[in-house]
Amino acid sequence: MRTRKLIAALAFAGASMLAVSAHADNYEIDGQHAWVTFTIKHGIYGIAHGQFDDVKGAITLDKADVTKSSVKAELDVGSVHTAFDQRDSDLKGPDFFNAAEFPKISFESTKVEKVDDKTGKVTGNLTISGVSKEVTLDVKLLNEAQAPWDATLTKAAFSATGKVSTADFPMAKAADGFGLGPEVEIAIDLEAIKK
Amino acid sequence: MSAILGNPMVTTAALPLLLGIVLALAARFALPAASPVLTLFWAALLLFFYWDTLGPPAVPPVAASQKLIYLAFAGIVIGLLPERMLGRATSFVAVIAFAAAFLWLGWRRLAGGSLDLQMIAALAVGLLTLIGAALLTARQPSPMPSPEEPFLAPAAVLALSLSAAIVSVLGASIVTGQLLGSLAALIGGWCLVQYVVMLRGGAAVWWSKGVEFLLLYAAATVLVQVALLAPKANPAALILSSLPPIAAVLVRGRLQGLLPGTRPLRPLVAGILIAIPAVLAIVTAIVWAPHGAALGFS
Repeated sequence: MRTRKLIAALAFAGASMLAVSAHADNYEIDGQHAWVTFTIKHGIYGIAHGQFDDVKGAITLDKADVTKSSVKAELDVGSVHTAFDQRDSDLKGPDFFNAAEFPKISFESTKVEKVDDKTGKVTGNLTISGVSKEVTLDVKLLNEAQAPWDATLTKAAFSATGKVSTADFPMAKAADGFGLGPEVEIAIDLEAIKK
Repeated sequence: MSAILGNPMVTTAALPLLLGIVLALAARFALPAASPVLTLFWAALLLFFYWDTLGPPAVPPVAASQKLIYLAFAGIVIGLLPERMLGRATSFVAVIAFAAAFLWLGWRRLAGGSLDLQMIAALAVGLLTLIGAALLTARQPSPMPSPEEPFLAPAAVLALSLSAAIVSVLGASIVTGQLLGSLAALIGGWCLVQYVVMLRGGAAVWWSKGVEFLLLYAAATVLVQVALLAPKANPAALILSSLPPIAAVLVRGRLQGLLPGTRPLRPLVAGILIAIPAVLAIVTAIVWAPHGAALGFS
């Protein structure tokens, strides 16, 4: 009798897990609709802006249990631009993002927390120039819908913001020397295509 | 005081020049040239400028720029070996140490497998600095040394550091440019005092084999890092920057006939000959600077 109950409980648990995983949707970041931008204090003057154009990655969104969601993204350092060629060269150089040695910046989530139906916190490891630091992003699900012009296309749109410090990465001396930062504000807007 | 020390022109040029002068005076009046204490002073100054420009050592070092201070440590350890142990083996040690530094600094670039113009230049710089170091450290003092001989190694490292500093800054690698500038100013201060001593009829102090090795190793490994990683560094200028040690060996040999007979002019002309590739490197870097001489964050 006890064995039957145990089997029944295991079967129920297994079925529940399957049901939960069935809610997890996989998305691919749409590089044509992804804006990964940053701002940093420029010396005693104003705020400098920059953007990475080449963004790739995957998002797993589990609406039934958001904590089971995950994000993995990669930026091409060579795609950084700040509206001034020479500054872009400096940023790609060994003093800052060091593109020749570390051509990619990566982010991989380790924890997703639900705040409310549309917002959450995504914590993960941000790796710049070979050094990984834990970063928490405040994420908002803006919308998820089928494209009106294409029934096979479903997209989700997200906004995320967060902060990192230049002092945590191998660019601290150069940033300090130029009076940049140390705080860098990150703002991400992206759309992702449901697979 | 902190505002003065925070000024990069002070820490990159004025302070190292002054410290080079002080060290030269100490070597002249207080310490024998071959003393390990003098080598330790050089080592301490070197580490101070590494720390000041690159920051404290990262554990473990990941990026090539974080490895430079460890290479400087390695150069110091080799440089502190007793003179009789180094002796004629210095050039062999130099070949091993330079090859190891190139592979350690550049393994990610080498693993990437792309043989672009920058990588070809980096390989050439690695090879030429290795050859230059092996030849320069292999030379032994003449039984009757001529007045320029104690200046050959300092002039080579000074010319290499100075041109590499400018090539580095113009190639979007400003921090390494500052470090190389500090090294150039430090050695410039030393050379200045030794030349004044010689003009006053004295004999210039020689660098020990250990000091010669550690300073050449420090400057050359930073140049190799610039060649491997600075995206806009001019390839021709990088290669020219690596040539002063070879030029110094030639001045001792085939080019000796170009030196004048007048004693005070010999070190000066020898220095100019050694600096020719460095001057060409600077001119090349300035003329073909990708964005002119301004800095992106200025």
